[in-house]
Amino acid sequence: MIKPKRLLSLLLRFIAFGTTLAAVILMATSHEKGTFFAVSYEAKYTDTPAFKYFVIANAIVTVYGFLVLFLPPGSPIWRLVLALDLVFIMLLISSISAAMAIAQVGKNGNPRAAWLPVCGQVAKFLQPSNRSFSCWFHCTDNLHYSAALLYLQSP
Amino acid sequence: MGLQNEEKLELGCSSSQPRSKKWVLLTVRVIAFLATATATLVMALNKETKTLVVAMVGSTPIKVTLTAKFQHTPAFVFFVIANAMASFHNLMMIMVELFGQKLDYKGLRLAMIAILDMTTVALISGGASAATFMAEVGKNGNSHARWNKICDKFETFCDRGGVAIIASSAGLLLMLIITAMSIFKLLNKPKSVSS
Repeated sequence: MIKPKRLLSLLLRFIAFGTTLAAVILMATSHEKGTFFAVSYEAKYTDTPAFKYFVIANAIVTVYGFLVLFLPPGSPIWRLVLALDLVFIMLLISSISAAMAIAQVGKNGNPRAAWLPVCGQVAKFLQPSNRSFSCWFHCTDNLHYSAALLYLQSP
Repeated sequence: MGLQNEEKLELGCSSSQPRSKKWVLLTVRVIAFLATATATLVMALNKETKTLVVAMVGSTPIKVTLTAKFQHTPAFVFFVIANAMASFHNLMMIMVELFGQKLDYKGLRLAMIAILDMTTVALISGGASAATFMAEVGKNGNSHARWNKICDKFETFCDRGGVAIIASSAGLLLMLIITAMSIFKLLNKPKSVSS
């Protein structure tokens, strides 16, 4: 029947596919409206090129992961898959890193550049306004680490 | 006798072919080491001080001296550390290639080199992409988050940062090639020579 090594490999690839898919969906569908100093705005993933890159990179890897699930074991394409795995690991890690860098500035701000933090900023002296940008980015990144690590395997 | 001659021929063939590959790998490693070391140094020494006139009180201008350093941004700090570690890794690998041919750990030498190369690729790619997007925000600003661009005031800082990121990306590409070569070396390990 199916060898245990192949089963394990399939399972890992399925989990990786699932996590990248979840990351894409979470990032693409989360948007928040808020008011800040009587100016209302909406936060979406298209606001920053880093998040756009994150969504696009993860979408590419999701499609790749889905296609590789259906590759028969004896096919000679597996050598190409080995090389492509490496490239996609790099793509995933760079997308996580980019999104985290921007999310970190959004959360903590950068006082020397006069960039205010936009994550959950409710100043105490303001009216209790709604949350501004929330930090949902971090949860997608956690999902992502697992996806990236799971690619470090070969059949 | 005939069989022994054939074995000697085989061993001779298999040892002369990897020699040129070994030198190719070594030169690519040296170039990658130079690229990541350049990126580390350029970013680490990246500093610009500028005196800006903030306001005028009567007739005397109030000046503010601002410094832009790489330590202000965690993404750049990560960039410097990642490139420093990658340079160190390349240096170690070059030393092991040149001087440590006998070093082995339970026959896993090639596997360990391949795995370490992959982790270094991951590290550099993370550092380079974080720094790239922070630099993009610094250059273009972000109107949605009301973050002003800073590159129009600190041009030298931004230029040097850009050079460092380009060098790191070149190093990343070379590390990718090195990793692919290490993995193929691992896959095509000559089974007749070992054990």
